[in-house]
Amino acid sequence: MQANESIKQRKFNVHMVTIAALLIALAGSWAYVLTRPQAPQLKPLTNTSTLVMATDISVIISLDPAEAYELEGCMIVNQLYDKLVELSWNPITGQVEVVPEVAESWEISSDGLTWTFHIRKGITFADGSPLTADAVVFSLRRVVKLGLTPSWILTQFGLTEDSIQKIDDYTVQIKLPRKVAPDLFLSCLAFTTGAIVNPEVVKAHEQKGDLGNAWLKEHSAGSGPFILEKWERESEVVLIANEKYWRGAPRIKRIVIKHVPEPINRVLMLEKGDVDIAFGLTQELVERVKDEVGIRLVSVPVFTKTYLAMNTKFEPFKDNRVREAVRWAIDYNAIFKFLGAQAIPLQTFIDKGIPGYNPSAPYYRNVERARQLLAEAGYPNGFEVELMAPTSYPARDVAEIVRRSLEEVGIRVKLKLVTSAEMYKIYRQQAHQMILAGWGADYPDPDALAKAFADYRARQLAWRNVWYDDYAANLTEIAAQETNPEKRLALYRELTEYVLHNGPYAILYQNMATVAVRTWVENFVLDPMELLPDLYKAYKESVYGYG
Amino acid sequence: MGAYILRRLLMLVPVLFGALTLTFFVTRVIPADPVGAILGPQAPPELVDKIRREWGFDKPLHEQFVNYILGVVRGDWGRALRTGRPVLRDILEVFPATLELATAALFVSVAVGVPLGLVAALKKDTWVDHVVRAFITIGSSTPAFWLGLMMLLLFYHRLGWLPGPGRLDTSIPPPPRITGMVTIDSLLAGRFDAFANAVAHLVMPASVLGWISSAGIARITRSSVLEVLSKEHVRAARAKGLAEKLVVSRHVLRNALVPVVTVIGVTYGGLLEGAVMTETVFSWPGLGRYSTNALLGLDYMAITGVTMFVALVYSIVNLATDVIYAYLDPRIRYG
Repeated sequence: MQANESIKQRKFNVHMVTIAALLIALAGSWAYVLTRPQAPQLKPLTNTSTLVMATDISVIISLDPAEAYELEGCMIVNQLYDKLVELSWNPITGQVEVVPEVAESWEISSDGLTWTFHIRKGITFADGSPLTADAVVFSLRRVVKLGLTPSWILTQFGLTEDSIQKIDDYTVQIKLPRKVAPDLFLSCLAFTTGAIVNPEVVKAHEQKGDLGNAWLKEHSAGSGPFILEKWERESEVVLIANEKYWRGAPRIKRIVIKHVPEPINRVLMLEKGDVDIAFGLTQELVERVKDEVGIRLVSVPVFTKTYLAMNTKFEPFKDNRVREAVRWAIDYNAIFKFLGAQAIPLQTFIDKGIPGYNPSAPYYRNVERARQLLAEAGYPNGFEVELMAPTSYPARDVAEIVRRSLEEVGIRVKLKLVTSAEMYKIYRQQAHQMILAGWGADYPDPDALAKAFADYRARQLAWRNVWYDDYAANLTEIAAQETNPEKRLALYRELTEYVLHNGPYAILYQNMATVAVRTWVENFVLDPMELLPDLYKAYKESVYGYG
Repeated sequence: MGAYILRRLLMLVPVLFGALTLTFFVTRVIPADPVGAILGPQAPPELVDKIRREWGFDKPLHEQFVNYILGVVRGDWGRALRTGRPVLRDILEVFPATLELATAALFVSVAVGVPLGLVAALKKDTWVDHVVRAFITIGSSTPAFWLGLMMLLLFYHRLGWLPGPGRLDTSIPPPPRITGMVTIDSLLAGRFDAFANAVAHLVMPASVLGWISSAGIARITRSSVLEVLSKEHVRAARAKGLAEKLVVSRHVLRNALVPVVTVIGVTYGGLLEGAVMTETVFSWPGLGRYSTNALLGLDYMAITGVTMFVALVYSIVNLATDVIYAYLDPRIRYG
């Protein structure tokens, strides 16, 4: 009946409106309550022997030192193995140095080609067997033989298996085919590829001639302060203390690296005291925990930078005046305002903290100058260009700032956000026009950056942007072989200046890494390589049992 | 019935083959370079080429396809680019976590959805019905990520009633892995502390997924019950003077359940695919995250493997649903 229906309809409407109002009130008050800042509290320190870290471990592909290349993987590998020499960060000088580890001393022949390392006596692997020259030779030869992703760090000097020889039980000799700057060679030996593995254990787990690679991916066979207990992908990595470590057993008995993909969850768990160290924070999260009781922030400029690159194959970028115009057009202030404490200024290609760092930063936003240069080069009305950038934070926001800056000088940018799989395919084929990308130094030596940014023959960044500049390439090669440290630094000074003004890049900033740590964690030092935190030295302690 | 089940199982083969072929060719056609991405921006080009050759990606497409099919028949589903391990092993490692979560979520969604739908139908056009109808609309459109984060903020961070993201507290040693489901493994090992903790960790993610799925179940329950209520046999039962409770339990429910079982089956299949948003928020190492990472990294083998696996799971769930029909409705017979 009509009347009945309309009464039902009205009843329905009234109910719906009431429910909607109640829901909005509920959701609103829920959100309000949750976003009120809570008075921070100290948490009781319950477990002093386990250190829990929260980060994203999904990038780790392998924990085999001959294969590990990702930051998180290398950081873990560094806790499990010892190397001939180690990198050590000196917070006072702000530089990363090479220090002896398994090798207590070494000599270089007068022609610079033969290196002799003297191995420290008394080092044992976790299973008790002694570490001798056999292990060193086996491990280094293994890297060359397997030829996996990071092997180039050693083989770039022309090293073959025969280059590495045992002289006696505690002496190893490495013969290089050409001269190499000593710091450079040592930095490369200090990378995780230089890790010494236990030959007997590795050989025992060899399958189909893989030199134990499949097994070593998920197990450890080293002499380092920690042993790998398990690696559950997407879940956690657990390390336990090596009680037989030659420097003495670590105070922390167990390290759990939990996989927490969401940054806010890492902070929530840190605030609750369930996690001791939280990596990978966004700027907002840094602001949130900055002044919180019980948490302190550890920041360090890391050896990773973000840069804008211009493919010189693309017509307008052939003219350096156009490239200069881009460098003068960018709104650097807006970028730093957006990134806050996550970035420090850098316009030259050697990161701060690596010898050869050049603080020169002449470019600032100068719209008239940029337009003038464009007009001189024959583009008074600008031109159109496609900019490729990653989809992730903060790159995509920085790309947007760049786009806006360039619009103002007449360069009309079409922004294309892509995943890394797509990006690297196009970039490696020199098929891009303009790209926003990042680059991390594999080892703390200026050569790592010079090869990438200045030497097209190395087929890295200079090559990808079709910047075939022989002057820069030659200078890179000479500097790599220069044995006199002062002369070497002078060469890099020249090279960085040259690339700054003539290269196909506009280097935007150097990244700062910020890690949040509970105050009861002592002796945790974050380093610029981001893979050296020596967890061996860390421990947990708090005066009243709270922190 | 036995012959029917066998026929349905045989039908899996063309289904899997179809899923496999489609995924294989679609992923290869996309213009991106997974090997380059996996090795990172700093890898020298010779190494990229070498690795590409090692994986056989330089061979012509049809040759790669044939090799792959031959491998699948032997049980070798290829190796995932990102982990370097056999795809099947990867999937079997992450699937139990999803199975555990999906099953718990299904319980929640049925326990919430069916009674709500039933009550709404019985009390049609009252405020109870209207509340349930509002829930049906809102429930399925609640973003899992938001709901999960809000629950974590409230129940974990503020109130401390439930544990945080992950499957087990760091301080509790995990039970030996038998099925891969922490709850079951804890019981099998007699570890009640781990069992209680694992269940506590399961509550929030299961509730999030359960809440969202229960909306669909409530809707179908409501409409199905309404349909049955209008049938003659119900009116006859009422006319006989049978108590309402008995009318409902004996004459209404069982008949109304057939379409509901369909939806429950489909929901379960969907949950078993993995829920990447929920898994991300709760650090749950399941199939959702694995397949999303595989897709983003264009990990060919993993993508094809996951597609086949999900097709397999879905088909089995569908088969189970159909078999349950036969028990619910004696009129349904499979020849």
